[in-house]
Amino acid sequence: MLRNLSAALIIFAALVLQVSLVNRLLGAYAPDFVLLTILTLAALRGPTAGAVIGFCGGLAYDLLPPASHTLGQYALLLCALGFVVGRFGENAPMLTVAVFAVIAPGLAAGIGALLGNPGVTWTVLSSAWPRAALCDLVAAPAVVWLLSGRYRLRRRGGRSGSTGMGRTTSWGRGMA
Amino acid sequence: MRDTRRARLAVGLLLAAALVLITVDHRVGSGPVLGPVHDMASGIFSKAEQVSATVTKPVRDFVGMLRAAPEAERTIAALRKENAKLRTEVASLQLDGTRAAKLDRMLGLAGLGRYRVVPAQVLARRDFPGFEDAVEIDAGANDGVRPDMTVLTGDGLVGRVVRAAADSATVALLTDPAISAGARLEGGNQIGVVSGLGEAGGGENLIKFRLLDSTVPLPPGGRIVSFGSQRSKPYVPGVPIGVIQRVESLPGDLTKIAYAKPFTDFSSLDVVGVVVQAPKRDPRDSVLPPVPQQAKQARERADKRAGRDDEAADESRAQAEPWAQMEEGRAGAAPGNRRPRAREAPRRRPAAAGAARSDGRN
Repeated sequence: MLRNLSAALIIFAALVLQVSLVNRLLGAYAPDFVLLTILTLAALRGPTAGAVIGFCGGLAYDLLPPASHTLGQYALLLCALGFVVGRFGENAPMLTVAVFAVIAPGLAAGIGALLGNPGVTWTVLSSAWPRAALCDLVAAPAVVWLLSGRYRLRRRGGRSGSTGMGRTTSWGRGMA
Repeated sequence: MRDTRRARLAVGLLLAAALVLITVDHRVGSGPVLGPVHDMASGIFSKAEQVSATVTKPVRDFVGMLRAAPEAERTIAALRKENAKLRTEVASLQLDGTRAAKLDRMLGLAGLGRYRVVPAQVLARRDFPGFEDAVEIDAGANDGVRPDMTVLTGDGLVGRVVRAAADSATVALLTDPAISAGARLEGGNQIGVVSGLGEAGGGENLIKFRLLDSTVPLPPGGRIVSFGSQRSKPYVPGVPIGVIQRVESLPGDLTKIAYAKPFTDFSSLDVVGVVVQAPKRDPRDSVLPPVPQQAKQARERADKRAGRDDEAADESRAQAEPWAQMEEGRAGAAPGNRRPRAREAPRRRPAAAGAARSDGRN
């Protein structure tokens, strides 16, 4: 419960800081911290939790106020990515998050193109995708390090304290 | 085995939910179904964004200061020079006071068509190339802001309101590829469509201007103002949009395409205004900033060169009919029998009309 609450809080903070600080400071070169946070949480918590985190976080990202795109685009994308990252990210979270942080901007643009968004063209993709991927790659280690540090701390505490939380984690690990 | 099936079921259900959401939002828009959801979300998030924007303002200011430092050095030098020049000008300006009063009375007419504006501060920004280019402002329905209202800065057009919550509103920027607005060339009646280029606009946030009549010349340096929409929704007329930088000429094309640099600096939006009441009359070109000194001189030189033969022809006509020129000047560049020379016409005529007016006053 506490774990879910803290995940929600972390995502909320990431959402707010992304649009009110990072985007305004760095403009087109802003890394997508929301994406990175959600992917990292998914990698640390396994496929099912990753899918749920991805869906909820993506939905919040869709609803985040200066939004003029179709509701559900990010929910779809991040739900699928959360599942996949949770599946493969158990052993090497850093690598998995980095790989999918590179892929994600292109997939997001692809979904936009499927919905008939006029701005998604090859010229735009060819310049925007590498840039977005590079920015995400630069920021990814920091996010993964920060979140996994927190997570490991809390997991250790959970194991020594109550049994329920520890068992869920080991169950999640055994599944992958 | 049981667990993976459970995981797959969960993922399948969630993906289906996302698809349903996309479908509903895409088909019905944010009407009765998703409207309340959007309102609630923007209620929660805008509060947090407001707080965050306030808390992080020193950080943004500091970085902005660092970024502006080399520019500031030059600005200070330029301002010193300008200051000295202005001081000498002030003395002569006082003599012009009475003439300015007359001018004021004349310009009062233009003042009738003012916009009523609600000022607002930018809280948050999102741009994903292709998806969107939008900002969140801290004025909302409580301040009289409604969807489909024009947003501008002191420099020019910014975009339009797409969604208004109680205390905040979402503004789609002019650089968003999904946004387009009717526009008009300065000093004429040639209309066209301005649309955002998004990522393709480059660092200067260029926008695309498509002139509907490909026979009309489209000079680089020409300026664009908004044409205005029906009943001024979403765009009010007369708002400066940008300066044409380069023209793409495709022989045999039905429309002409130019790329313009917007007057608004989209990379550092801070204070904007929402037009809550449209002007009673179209302000035409009166809101445009004065022509920069260098461009004006170059333009005058070009006009003098090209207009010499024009003037000879006009002079004889003007002698016969003193008011003809003024009438024509007011009509702007109405396409007429002098089509081949239309390139110079829209620039020269207002000047001619101005000369005629000052003659009349003396």
